[in-house]
Amino acid sequence: MNKKIIYTILILGFFVFWGSSCLHRDVIEEEEKIAENKTEEAIFEKIKPPFEIREINGREYLISRGDVGRYGGAFSNSTIGEGPKTFNIWNSKDATSSTLAGLMFEGMFTTDAYTGEVIPKLAKKVEIAKDGKTYTVTLRKGLKWSDGREITADDVEFTYNTIIKGGYGDTSSRDVMAVDGVMPSCKKIDKYTLEFVTPKTFAPFLRMLGFAIAPKHILKPITDKGIDEFNRFWGVTTKPEDFVVSGAFKLKEYVPAQRVIFERNKDYSMADKNGNLLPYLDKYVVYIVGDLNNQVLKFEGGELDILPVRGNQVARFKALEKNSDYKMYNLGAGDGTTFISFNLNNRKNDKGKYYVEPKKQKWFNNNNFRKAVDYAIDREFIVSNIISGVGMPLFTAEGLSSIYLNKTLAKGHPQNLQYAQKLLSQAGFSKDENGILHDKEGNEVEFTLMTNAGNLERESIGVIIKEDLAKLGMKVNFKPIEFNVLVGKITGSMDWDAIIMGLTGSALEPNNGANVWYSYGSLHMFNIRQGKDAINRTNILPWEKRLDELFSQGATTLGFENRKKIYDEYQQIVYDYNPFIYLYSPLNIYAVRKKYKNLEPTALGGVIHNLEEIYIEE
Amino acid sequence: MNVFIYIIKRLINAVPILILVSLISFFIIRLSPIDPLSELKLNPAISPQTLEAERVRLGLDLPLYKQYLKWGGNFIKGDMGVSTSGELVSDRLKERIPNTLLLTGIVILLTWLVGIPLGIYAALNWRKPADRVITVFTSVGMAIPSFFYALLLLVFAVKTGWFPIGGLTSFNFAQMNIFGKIFDIIHHLFLPVLVLFTLSLAGLQRQMRGNLLDVLESDYVKLARAKGLPENKVIYKHAVRNAINPMVTLIGFEFAGLLSGAALTEYVFQYPGLGRLVLEAVMKSDINLVMASLMIGSIMLVVGNIIADILLKLVDPRVTME
Repeated sequence: MNKKIIYTILILGFFVFWGSSCLHRDVIEEEEKIAENKTEEAIFEKIKPPFEIREINGREYLISRGDVGRYGGAFSNSTIGEGPKTFNIWNSKDATSSTLAGLMFEGMFTTDAYTGEVIPKLAKKVEIAKDGKTYTVTLRKGLKWSDGREITADDVEFTYNTIIKGGYGDTSSRDVMAVDGVMPSCKKIDKYTLEFVTPKTFAPFLRMLGFAIAPKHILKPITDKGIDEFNRFWGVTTKPEDFVVSGAFKLKEYVPAQRVIFERNKDYSMADKNGNLLPYLDKYVVYIVGDLNNQVLKFEGGELDILPVRGNQVARFKALEKNSDYKMYNLGAGDGTTFISFNLNNRKNDKGKYYVEPKKQKWFNNNNFRKAVDYAIDREFIVSNIISGVGMPLFTAEGLSSIYLNKTLAKGHPQNLQYAQKLLSQAGFSKDENGILHDKEGNEVEFTLMTNAGNLERESIGVIIKEDLAKLGMKVNFKPIEFNVLVGKITGSMDWDAIIMGLTGSALEPNNGANVWYSYGSLHMFNIRQGKDAINRTNILPWEKRLDELFSQGATTLGFENRKKIYDEYQQIVYDYNPFIYLYSPLNIYAVRKKYKNLEPTALGGVIHNLEEIYIEE
Repeated sequence: MNVFIYIIKRLINAVPILILVSLISFFIIRLSPIDPLSELKLNPAISPQTLEAERVRLGLDLPLYKQYLKWGGNFIKGDMGVSTSGELVSDRLKERIPNTLLLTGIVILLTWLVGIPLGIYAALNWRKPADRVITVFTSVGMAIPSFFYALLLLVFAVKTGWFPIGGLTSFNFAQMNIFGKIFDIIHHLFLPVLVLFTLSLAGLQRQMRGNLLDVLESDYVKLARAKGLPENKVIYKHAVRNAINPMVTLIGFEFAGLLSGAALTEYVFQYPGLGRLVLEAVMKSDINLVMASLMIGSIMLVVGNIIADILLKLVDPRVTME
């Protein structure tokens, strides 16, 4: 009997020691790090001159803006989730597929990763007529598909008129391009020139001309067979040699649930300053990993060359950086937003019942009430406690990386409970002797705050906000619920009081959020109007009306400076009236192996926007 | 009775079971408040028309019972439908099933080749130090959760660099020669196999040991020894032969576990198998994919049981097929 116990202890001890020795190094001193993360300078305002075009052997090449490098080697990246669903970029509905297929197909224009401006890629130049509706685009000469055929205006015309306009593939790109439901027209002028005409001036259109161009000689026979045939074409089971591409890389191998390998496209249309053809890298590998933890382990094990570092990991990676082979880059705040919103809906549903209780409608529709909540929230505390300081407080509707950010508002205001109390008493709210807030009619202020369960960040934010608002005497019942149920409440039954939500933004085009801000938009979540309410635009608030005007002006005004004024005003309105009370933006931090050169991470383009220029140091 | 008729009979019996399983799983998935389209609904770039088109494409606009009948009809015809992302479910299963079979096949082979002899050895050395050591190790094996064990080994792989971190093949696999490929796969399989092997070995070894100990106590073994048969014959001809019966039944379950038994381990090691696929499908409420894998699981269980029963008949003449 005794022996048995001794054996057991010995063996258990073995397991415990082994386990603890493995885990030990992961628990590193956290405290000192938070401050350090903040002091690190974000990469901003780095500008490079536009691409130069040079003719080599009768072909017009874009000349790289980076240093001259050397050929060879591979770069390993990763994607979380199931991996690509298709390599047909015109039919890709998810981000992973679009990003991967995007390496293989280029558009006429692209976004300059340094400035956010639209710059020519396959195109050489664009002329916009005085009326602001006619775009004349000239392509570069001597561009080649990877099978040797020339890329011409025929390919562009086919892609636009047949694939996009014809409703092949994912139709959301068509939805975005339509101006008041009408698609701009496209006409081929000669082999290298095209003319696009929009029905009225439509500012976002130039950026939309960055759509990927399809090889007509390959896809024409497929589109002739119908939409289903096209949507299946170039799926994940296609043999890599069947792809005909224009991008820097071409698919070499796809192993489901493991990795995607791209190889260098020898016919790519960029060269370095000495005239050597790009890209430098032989291979670009994307591992498909199931979750964050595995991604981190793969980076630590040396299989990955780049890792997006999450808030709670930043301190550890930063501490290990000195003695390691990677360097960390802080790209600044991302373009996603997190906010709390109140339901301003004061209409009745079909059964004649109010979506929101009448007494709550009065609170939520009171500007002072929302402003008081805005001032009561301690954003600094949220940032330092929930995402370990790896984020920035957010006050504006455009994300901090947006080129349209209203910089005067971006600094925002600190938490100010006295001011919040004052706002509330001005609006007729009062605290009783137990510290509970009452409205004019004497109702206790109590409402439900919801968010999607399972999102740990939002769940913790909810707890902090509940405590912050308790200081004002509000009773908040915080209730995380299933994501799908929450979406159903927001877009369907509309019976909610307050929510913590997030939306993806666009750093380049505020008009992409138009669906949220138009008073009849399908994502106008703080005051959704559906059915006849949307058509009649029932009881629109004055500032909602102004937002409607601003957004339709913004879409039809050309020129960055002119649009900036319009979008500045919209941010001011959102700041003043608080339909969304913005909370914070996490910072994008990446760790990349030091051996890679020509790395120019930017807030807008990320780390590998210039993948074709990246090379490995000798 | 003829074995063939017996199999047919059993298969017919299985039909109502399968229908019941499909009904329960279908309605549980459908009645849960998971909406495959909720992500799209919160995407500002998606128009209501696109959303509606997606709803029709996934058949979500039909009443529940019609959805079930449509699914059932197609399934019988061998059409498992499309996943939410638009690929054929059968294609997705086809690319994953061989990987899972490779992993579980090796594990089952190893556990049986090691577990049975080890069980016999432990039973014959009952209460001797060797038996005790084995018992302690198998207790640990049974007690340690597979998820945790797999994580520990993964951390081990990261810290030592001796093993790849998950996956099945290296990125330059396509360029290797045949020996390189075999070595690469073994290199990747080692840790997941070790996890599953440790866990199932523990159970199997203890079962075999217990069975054999029971049999060794029985009268006919005492008789065999008393009449002076050599010890080898007593054990391997009389005792083991009788102790193996319950193990044969286990084979049926092992067969069912071929495709589904390794899900957690697969997930931790990022193994490109069926388990990881189905886990992700459940999270996204990809009903066709989940249903297909559940049905395949049930069919495997039914078939496994039939195989076990037939094997039992072969091993033990006393069993009849009535």
